[in-house]
Amino acid sequence: MSEEKRLHPITTVINAAKAIKEAIIPIVILFFVNGGTGNSGSILDYVPILITAGLIILLIFSGVIQWWRFKYWIEEGELRIEQGLFVKKKRYIHFERIQSLNYSEGILHRPFKLVKIKVETAGSSSDLDSEAVLTAITKEEANELNRMISAAKKKLKEKGLDPELTVAEEPEVDDRVLYKMSPKDLIVMATTSGGAGVVLGGVLIFLSQFGELIPYETVFNELIEFVETGFLLAGILIVLVFLIAWLIAVAMTFLRYADFTVRLVDKDIVITRGLLEKKQTTVPLKRIQGIRFDQNIVREPFRYTSVTIESAGGSVLEKDSNAIRLLPMIKENEATPILNEILPDYEWNVDFKGAPSRSIFRYIFWKLFFSLFVIIPVSWFFFPIGLLSLTLIPVSILLGWMQYRTAGYNLSGDQLVMRFRGVSKQIVYMKKKRIQSVTWTETYFQRKGRVATITATIKSAIGGSSTSVEHLDKKDVETMMDWYRPEAVSNPEAREIIGELET
Amino acid sequence: MGSNEPKMRISERALTVWKLYGWISAIITTIIAAGVITLAVLFDWSVWFIVGGVVVPILEIILFVYVFPTLKWRRWRYEVREEEIELQHGIFIVKRTLVPMVRVQHVDTEQGPILRKYRLATISISTAATLHQIPALDIDEADALRDSISALARVAEDDV
Repeated sequence: MSEEKRLHPITTVINAAKAIKEAIIPIVILFFVNGGTGNSGSILDYVPILITAGLIILLIFSGVIQWWRFKYWIEEGELRIEQGLFVKKKRYIHFERIQSLNYSEGILHRPFKLVKIKVETAGSSSDLDSEAVLTAITKEEANELNRMISAAKKKLKEKGLDPELTVAEEPEVDDRVLYKMSPKDLIVMATTSGGAGVVLGGVLIFLSQFGELIPYETVFNELIEFVETGFLLAGILIVLVFLIAWLIAVAMTFLRYADFTVRLVDKDIVITRGLLEKKQTTVPLKRIQGIRFDQNIVREPFRYTSVTIESAGGSVLEKDSNAIRLLPMIKENEATPILNEILPDYEWNVDFKGAPSRSIFRYIFWKLFFSLFVIIPVSWFFFPIGLLSLTLIPVSILLGWMQYRTAGYNLSGDQLVMRFRGVSKQIVYMKKKRIQSVTWTETYFQRKGRVATITATIKSAIGGSSTSVEHLDKKDVETMMDWYRPEAVSNPEAREIIGELET
Repeated sequence: MGSNEPKMRISERALTVWKLYGWISAIITTIIAAGVITLAVLFDWSVWFIVGGVVVPILEIILFVYVFPTLKWRRWRYEVREEEIELQHGIFIVKRTLVPMVRVQHVDTEQGPILRKYRLATISISTAATLHQIPALDIDEADALRDSISALARVAEDDV
């Protein structure tokens, strides 16, 4: 596989489509410039259209050139890429540095059995150039590349074995399907994600944008008559609008998450998803920094939760790659067996030690205090409707109380689990060796009440990801600090607790 | 604070530098306040502008030149042990951070013109995810500390 290769010719279409998509706004503007004056028959009227056509042809042409100049090959254990027309750009990526190949398939890929490959390196997150994308290659080539990379990595470990030999003798890799998302879970996810609300909002914005085109007044008058014929019909209409919004949300969720499958391949987690565009994400197990459970307030009563992986490295180019959704929507109790298979060294069922009862007031106080800054002016200036803002009082008390109930931590062996709530309930599982630093903070009032706030930071794709639990008992905070402390623990009481944990 | 708070204090000259910073910002505030007072007199604004123009700079001098630097200096502690670095700082919110030596990726010292004049330097300790700074250490001490931290720091390979 050491000869120079080009990508599949379909790349030209993909490149051009991407370029046109990016330039769509200028193209549209250009097209509509002077659009209204086109009756004089002069050649000048066609100028905007000609420019638009020229631009599109140029973009298509550049897509072809890009494809023509893009070559890749394998040499000396490196993936080498050469591209560029006037400025020739070469990029050599050593196999060892390649962390994973992420596959995705767009609509254009699928008829030709092609994949888009994103090469992810373990490079520093600031280094955007350390990554490479092969826009369209055949699946066989992709698998071949993958095999060579893993063989090269293996060779590095075992030293001395010829990579070609290893490829030939490689035993079947362990490949297990751990989780498949059911359509029911997908529907629950779409329903509880607030996506339907977003769609509804989007429709409203859309309608308001095109206000001039739709004769609202006529529609409105008709609507009034309509409503007068009966509240029942109006009710049905509203339900219908919500139903449509909900259906759109479900459809969008299906597009993104259909066929969501988690597999464990050797020492990597492989996540595939998507209906039209298939995406495959690979997360090496050893890059996992922590696991986060996220439960929004709608899902909480139904015990549905979403599980994300905090992973170091990964792709900087992809926005959501630092928090990889492992199980987007699952019943709490169903998540544990799956996680046990992936990460057997984590303890998933733990008892939390909560905040002391003297903290309840602290959780409530500030929310109440700041809500007064809203309530007082609003009630004053918008009397009497403004008095509705008084509902903020029970809301802040309830939220504070829920935050107090949620706050907690657990130490077991080399694992720290923190549970807290903003509005959504979150639980974060971290291993001691993955925690980059631990900080505790204490305000004057917290010191009086012998409580403190603890923050643990783990690495995520870009910088760090911090988790805090507020107003825990000072003794608990000290125990956590001593648990984390690499040097001999000075406090004998804490030493005892930690001793118990480690045996 | 706890019984085992970090032992080392930062250089006493830090106090001088922080006071200097306080003076610099106080002078700027005073100039702005003088402008406000002049305008207030010229255009017959409310008397409160004049009161504010006098009180604000005085308050700033008291707080940012005398009170806060002293409190800040008194609170600032650090300790570099064989396997860990511990920092403590904060005037109203006391913050204590523990960084294990194995998590440290690199250490830098840096100094601006004012710090250089007072032979001080700031140490920055980076882990894979966080950045911690000890401000205004004596330059020799900072250099020695930087060298010893980088000697002690040995990030365990597969942990990041």
